[in-house]
Amino acid sequence: MIEYYTFKHRGAADEYKDEVFLRLVPNLTVAIFNGNKLDSPKSQSLLFSEILSSDEGNKSFDYLHKVFDDCLDDDSEFLILRVEQNGIESIRRGDVSAKIVRHGQISLLPNGYFGLSSDDSIICATSNFFKYISDEGILADALVSGSCNEWMNMMIRRISDQTQLKCGNLSAVNLKLNR
Amino acid sequence: MFDYSILPDETVSAIIVALVLFAFSFVFFLICSLYSLIKYMVYTNKHKEKPGLICDVAYFHERGKRENQEDSIYVSPMDKVEETGFVAACSDGMGGLLNGEVVSKYVTDSLSERFPYKFDAQEDNSRIISEISNKVYEEYHLGAGATLVMVHIYDGYMNFYSLGDSNIILIRNNRATLLNYKQNYITLMIKKCAESGMDTGLAYKDNRAKGLIDFVGNLDCNVLKTSRPLRLIENDIIIVSSDGVTDSMPLNRIVNYIHFDQNAIGIARSLKYAVRARKNPRQDNYSAVVIKMKRSFV
Repeated sequence: MIEYYTFKHRGAADEYKDEVFLRLVPNLTVAIFNGNKLDSPKSQSLLFSEILSSDEGNKSFDYLHKVFDDCLDDDSEFLILRVEQNGIESIRRGDVSAKIVRHGQISLLPNGYFGLSSDDSIICATSNFFKYISDEGILADALVSGSCNEWMNMMIRRISDQTQLKCGNLSAVNLKLNR
Repeated sequence: MFDYSILPDETVSAIIVALVLFAFSFVFFLICSLYSLIKYMVYTNKHKEKPGLICDVAYFHERGKRENQEDSIYVSPMDKVEETGFVAACSDGMGGLLNGEVVSKYVTDSLSERFPYKFDAQEDNSRIISEISNKVYEEYHLGAGATLVMVHIYDGYMNFYSLGDSNIILIRNNRATLLNYKQNYITLMIKKCAESGMDTGLAYKDNRAKGLIDFVGNLDCNVLKTSRPLRLIENDIIIVSSDGVTDSMPLNRIVNYIHFDQNAIGIARSLKYAVRARKNPRQDNYSAVVIKMKRSFV
């Protein structure tokens, strides 16, 4: 079973320029679009979502990458995760990244295919989210929390303690595997 | 050629005995050498990998401007640490309520009585803490309470347990991180604000929001615990402390007072004097157990 939770917050900015995308079938696909460096982020994030929702969203990541290169602005940043049967496949561009908690340790999720084991936890977020929270904090919260919702709330508390959530757009998705 | 026939019989016998003894001692020497060589190879094979992580431990337990010392600490015996692991706890009697020192002492004494704890039985261990809390509730009916933080370190991994707003701080790569979140109303307010898309400034303005939502002395309390252990690495520093330490010394400044190459005693001493140097007129009691992870064969 895979549990997930998404978090989107304007962070006292004028507008929310990111986008979080989820697709459940045929495989769980999670995508985060970071439009902070774009002049017109809305049109780009819509385009991003449209491509992922279409049939092309199911195709290989190599193909998807080419499509995004053709269609999206060079400054648009994104991360896409697709949960396969025994692992997870990811591609990223720019400052959106994912971290994995495994065996009491935390590390950056590499690009490409990565095998998963039971009890793995993954957090993907924009750099603005990771900026205010240490790896050890993410790790401790992942190990203490019983659900994705609880884990996210603990991380938000850490960001809030430093910024009172007045730090600009915050976008994150976390996943917990219970196999 | 030598003609031994001219030697007396006694001399020949003596030479034969000497030769036999020499042969015997030579064989004995070979056996001993072979045995030593095998022993040496077994030892070097056994210690091929890095030496294990051990805990270097120190503590301080100081009274601030309060009348009573309401903090209490517990450090488990170290004689069977390879089997039982190492446990350290700090309990802080709740200010504003009566018998803070009695409750915090009761908590650490109860933890001591129940030692050893199974490392992988986090549920059972948190139930033990919950039972201690229920006993305090039965005695005082919310008229007294304490916070509790406890760490259990075994074979390079750490589980932790927390009730209230005391601290478990991990210092790694010269950065201090609070591992346990504080169980107070601020947490609830932040959750509400974040869910509704607001900033959380409001949550920090109201002093009443610092009130605890869970503590030892609450009925059927919700013990914060790790469901899986956290992996420790060499030179990690863990500080299990009451809030008297962090009230006078913010988390991000702690690393300014300690040095990477200090041992646990040095770190504890530095922290203690750093808090004292603040000369806070309302200094709360301040206590901490400092654990530094070191590699050693011993």
